[in-house]
Amino acid sequence: MTDAGVRSSISRLRTAGLRSGRRPVGQNVGRLGVTLALAFVVLAAGAGYWQVWRAQELSTAPDDPAVVAAARHVVRGQIKDRTGTVLAASRRDANGEPYRVYTDPSMSPVIGYASRFFGTAGLEHTYDAQLTGVLSPDPVQQLLAKFQGNRADPQDLTLTISLRLQRAAQRMLGGDKGAVVMLDPSTGEVLAMVSGPTYDASAVANPATAQKAFARLQADKDKPLLNRAVQGLYVPGSTFKIVTSMAALSSGAITTSTTYPQQPRAEETGLLVSGFRVRDGHHPFTDDRALNYPEAVEVSCNIYFALTGLRTGGARLADWAGRVGFGHQIPFDLPTAVSQVTNGGGKFGGGFKDAVEVANAAYGQAEVLATPIQMALVASTVANEGVEIKPQLVKSFSSDRDGTRTVGPQQMADVLTPDVAGEIKSAMERAVEGDFGKLFTPGAAVPGIPTAGKTGTAQLAAGEPHSWFIGFAPVDHPRVAIAVIVENAGHGASRAAPMAGDLMQLYFETFGK
Amino acid sequence: MTNAAAPARPALPPIVFGGIRPRARWREMWLLLIVALTLYVGSISLGATEAAAAGKSLTLSPAEDQPLAIYLGALLLAHLAQVVAGRRTDQVLLPATAMLGGISLLLMERLPQSLVSQSFGGLDLGLGQVQLLWLLLAIGLITILSIVVRSDSWLRLYKYTWAAAGIGLLVLTFIRGEDVNGARLILVIGPFSGQPIELLKVIMVVFLAGYLSEFRPLLVEQDTRVGPLRLPPLPYLAPMLVMIALALGIVVIQRDLGAALLFFVVFLMLLYVATARAAYVVLGLLLFVAGSYLMYRLFGVVQDRVDIWWDPFKDPSGNGYQIIQALHAFARGGILGTGLGAGLPLVGGQPPIPAVHTDFPFAALGEELGLVGVLAILGLYLVVIERGLRIAAAAADDFRALLAAGLALVVGVQAFIIAAGNLKLIPLTGITLPVISYGGSSILANAVVVGLLLALSDKGVEPPPPPRAGRRFARLRDAVGGRA
Repeated sequence: MTDAGVRSSISRLRTAGLRSGRRPVGQNVGRLGVTLALAFVVLAAGAGYWQVWRAQELSTAPDDPAVVAAARHVVRGQIKDRTGTVLAASRRDANGEPYRVYTDPSMSPVIGYASRFFGTAGLEHTYDAQLTGVLSPDPVQQLLAKFQGNRADPQDLTLTISLRLQRAAQRMLGGDKGAVVMLDPSTGEVLAMVSGPTYDASAVANPATAQKAFARLQADKDKPLLNRAVQGLYVPGSTFKIVTSMAALSSGAITTSTTYPQQPRAEETGLLVSGFRVRDGHHPFTDDRALNYPEAVEVSCNIYFALTGLRTGGARLADWAGRVGFGHQIPFDLPTAVSQVTNGGGKFGGGFKDAVEVANAAYGQAEVLATPIQMALVASTVANEGVEIKPQLVKSFSSDRDGTRTVGPQQMADVLTPDVAGEIKSAMERAVEGDFGKLFTPGAAVPGIPTAGKTGTAQLAAGEPHSWFIGFAPVDHPRVAIAVIVENAGHGASRAAPMAGDLMQLYFETFGK
Repeated sequence: MTNAAAPARPALPPIVFGGIRPRARWREMWLLLIVALTLYVGSISLGATEAAAAGKSLTLSPAEDQPLAIYLGALLLAHLAQVVAGRRTDQVLLPATAMLGGISLLLMERLPQSLVSQSFGGLDLGLGQVQLLWLLLAIGLITILSIVVRSDSWLRLYKYTWAAAGIGLLVLTFIRGEDVNGARLILVIGPFSGQPIELLKVIMVVFLAGYLSEFRPLLVEQDTRVGPLRLPPLPYLAPMLVMIALALGIVVIQRDLGAALLFFVVFLMLLYVATARAAYVVLGLLLFVAGSYLMYRLFGVVQDRVDIWWDPFKDPSGNGYQIIQALHAFARGGILGTGLGAGLPLVGGQPPIPAVHTDFPFAALGEELGLVGVLAILGLYLVVIERGLRIAAAAADDFRALLAAGLALVVGVQAFIIAAGNLKLIPLTGITLPVISYGGSSILANAVVVGLLLALSDKGVEPPPPPRAGRRFARLRDAVGGRA
């Protein structure tokens, strides 16, 4: 490098240095300021997310310390049935601290308990914030509550449950394990929700007996603390044929007049699907005639539904089951288990392994598992012309300060067209009221009121099958839908169907025809 | 020549004593008055809530009037000292800091006093009282620094000495330090104990300001060419690598992720201010990502923090407990807050968030003052940042500009890191919320920051020392590789 070159590069550098030295850092500082301001805007947005968007959800969660603290000292609101009968009230112990007393053990799976030692369960858990008055269902009151001296405003809950129906269902279940869900198809109001065996929630809530009672309940092999109506996953058996019907009829895979020529013979020999034989009992009354759809429902023909399942295909079967609630957590006041049509992961379509699984699932065996509330919703959806209404347990909240706020019905899904719903409805009516239906499903029909339904006999790997029934009445304008399951009680017709018939009859006696 | 013919000169205030010319600070006074009023109202609100909780009838007197009175009195003295000293320094910084300190005082008074107990000469002090003591010392420190510091050469000329002192402090902590929650944070020397990291952050800014201002021309204009790539001058990137190594060192030695993050971010931002070269920032971010990934793989503590951040609800009663409780606190506060003293429901006699006074005061304030309060607090930090950056932009030379910007950044970035951690925007790290968190080291370090910023803001400051042109020229010559 020449001297001149060095000099020029140095002078260039020097002027550059001077230039940058003289050029104030002000502009850079300005950009930095903007960056930091933006960062703080992000902080503000984050605060807004937690303090506005997620505020209600978090601050009223049952494990929020404020809710827990309030629960200890506040006298909780009462819980009543739909007619106003008190189901849960509070008393004070020797120290003046309140504890809960429950009217009827049949309500325990629904209401749960509020215990000083063991926290809360059931509706006492879900609506802890409202019952303790930490949260008002009215947002304006919620905001104003900050300025009032006594902030807690315990809400009373009026349930949709009818204690009369609830008690009757519990009594009919007797000592058996099982569940009953009764609801109004057009409003989703749950009229009865029974899980057997039940337990005495008062013993858990009473501080004097809590420790012993709770320990015994936890050790009980029959799991009384499990609400089978929403948490029990059962093989649904033939009641699932209604779900298969939804998929097949809605997707156009079959019509009501579809018959399968191979069906009568397959009843003798079994239906060969990919080398596996799907077997079925013979229907002696139908001779060798190939059955159409309503006849197949009436006699509960497994072969017909296996063939229908294959024709519909796994993907469409799973899809329509999903529309009515399978594979999702049903939004409800109590935590629900997720019903399933298959274990998933299979490559056959819809998560099924192969054709054999689809054929068996179509009549409710294979890997199909459903909660009683899910099957009640299946019946309710058919009854309500294909529109599925969200089930609800709470009719209204009320307090002195806020007055009464009623919870209205909410549509969950539009599953079927009225036409398809009508086709399934009349088939289910035949299954109860038809000539063969009366033979297969005795006792389900409500005297004087057209009744629709479907039995199920869920075959298990070991032991007696589960006895199932789902149905609704009256057929034309259904006011009550029902699902009954009794564990290991044999055929659907022998136990669940008559129970359902009696309960629906009691409904009409209580609430008028 | 008559007076009338003389060129118009700003009238200097009269000299009262020696060389001191008092100068009124109206803006500062009014702002402090607003601060005092706000804090007084806050104290009354706290008092009313506490009285109601104790079952007494509604009273409209402050919770405990003594501490607040002492605090406000100290602020008045600090203001008067500034007036008497007559320096033309910033008039917003002190009120903004005072407001943050006052919020801290109210919060610490309101929390269970048993969270901290210290005794000085037979006097047992609780959380609020100890915090008041630190705040008073901080006000004193701010006042002294802002009045006394006139020359910056003691900072400018000895940057390597400062850096060495900082590294020495770090090493000492590693050897002699005590562990807190798995992080080696506390250094005990004789009767004194403190968190050296707080002092270290100030030292780091001083060093960086010195280094970057000296090499700014080179860093801005020169390139290293590697084939077609134009990279920054690699020899002068050495400090960058040293800084990364230091940050890594802090993580490895102290397991203090928050401080490491703070150092690195402040370093990158200062580098940008000095050079305005996006390449540095990009390179730094790439290194940051790579380093973070490496640390995630190598250190369990990093992995834990990230996993908790990603899904605290996986282990709500164990690892995720703290942050979940913080989020619940924010949620309970809502928009308007529960009111001072009405939040933080006790669980077994303790506030639901452990370490609420050190790591989670932001969540506690979020609950009691609501979103409105949170926004106000964030606004106060922005004011401090804005004043700092304004001082930087108006500074007489590069060193002062970078120093002021760095000091503002240290406060702003630290506030961001812990607030974002509390809000689950980033993994939680255990650093303090400047001026609000309980703790002497933190409060005094931030007092040094504010004090220095005030001193730097003086408009009538003496000129910076002349650049040592000879040495700089020599270095430039070396840089171009010539033998002129």
